[in-house]
Amino acid sequence: MVADMAKKSPTVSEPTYFILAALLDGPLHGHAIIRRTLELSENRVKLPVGTLYGALDRLAANDLIAVEREEVVEGRPRRYFRLTDDGRGLVSAEALRMQQAASVVTSRILGTGSAFT
Amino acid sequence: MSAGTHAAPTTETPKRALARRYERLLLFYPRDYRRRFGAELVATLLDGSEPGRALPSLTESAGLIRGGFRTRATFAARGSPWRDGLHLGILVVVLADLAMLVPYAGSMPVWTGLSAAIVLAVLRGRPGLAIPLVLLVGGKVVAIALGRPWLDETLLPIFPDAIWGGRALYSVGGPVAPAAAYTVVLLGLLVLTAGDTSLKKRSWCWWAVVPLIAGTDPAGLDLAGGSPRTMARVGLEVALLLLAIWAGRLAGDPRWAVAAGTYLLTELTVLAENLSSSTRQDVAHFALLAFLTFAAIAVPYRARTQPQL
Repeated sequence: MVADMAKKSPTVSEPTYFILAALLDGPLHGHAIIRRTLELSENRVKLPVGTLYGALDRLAANDLIAVEREEVVEGRPRRYFRLTDDGRGLVSAEALRMQQAASVVTSRILGTGSAFT
Repeated sequence: MSAGTHAAPTTETPKRALARRYERLLLFYPRDYRRRFGAELVATLLDGSEPGRALPSLTESAGLIRGGFRTRATFAARGSPWRDGLHLGILVVVLADLAMLVPYAGSMPVWTGLSAAIVLAVLRGRPGLAIPLVLLVGGKVVAIALGRPWLDETLLPIFPDAIWGGRALYSVGGPVAPAAAYTVVLLGLLVLTAGDTSLKKRSWCWWAVVPLIAGTDPAGLDLAGGSPRTMARVGLEVALLLLAIWAGRLAGDPRWAVAAGTYLLTELTVLAENLSSSTRQDVAHFALLAFLTFAAIAVPYRARTQPQL
């Protein structure tokens, strides 16, 4: 619903960015996404389960991720999520945007050298 | 993050107790979502919990409550927003109409019963059943507001039952506002009967609104005095409108704005009819409702044009 109404590219929150980044290396289930997100963000982004699945539902509704497979491990159901091409494109574009934004500051600081002397 | 670990009940392991408590928190999610994904969410929660923990952490509990409400808003945003929003708005108006009559049920039990039947028909998505009842009760209410007998021999003025106290029914304000409220309901029901698709059956929890705002006449709210009943009504109005804004933002859907607009229309007629006797508090009350309704309209529009993931 959101996708067909959108007039602009969606804004990506930090947790969503790290969820998409966690799936870059391949499909993961819920708990593995939480662990990978924590690792990639250097322990900054600790996703509560309710928040994680809410984000996964929104990403799936926008065709940015898809369910790769479902399995039951020790009696516990698991869905493995994978990035779609759109999801990979979105997280790449977001990374480039942040890199460009960061370079506005870092190039000046490194250029003058004042912050590192 | 942690609420602390506690000793498990003697009859079950800490993990089982924790799972049971997480299952209870999942009640915040819609039933269909729980049935499909509840076991997976509990499994993920247990995977992330430290050994020996028997109580859910505060962070996870808050995440589940927030996630549950978000999912409910998303699930509710299905089907035509105009039709569903109008249905919801009419439900709120007929609940307020019933609440108005409840304190007088001892003197007019049949009419109060018919008003409750209107609520029941709207609640269960049966607008066709509600229409003749609205004509009957609306006609009676307007007759009372005009001080005329109609259909039965109810003695006027009608005083509230002893436990309620307060003014006689429709002793303040004129007949236009009550007539307008029933006309809005009638027109809305006619629109709803014209559609092909069936309407949602809404939650029985809506009945709880009735005792909360019983006996509050929108034409005679004691805003300056701050009586408990008036404050309950204003508090409920503000809470429901804030919920409408929040749900509209999450789902990017205007149905809650349509419902809010329907209710505001009835409040506008009250203000228009009683403008000469309105206090500053009355005008401020309406301005607050109008502002929140406007926000309920604007927020989903913004959420659609600038979606956030």
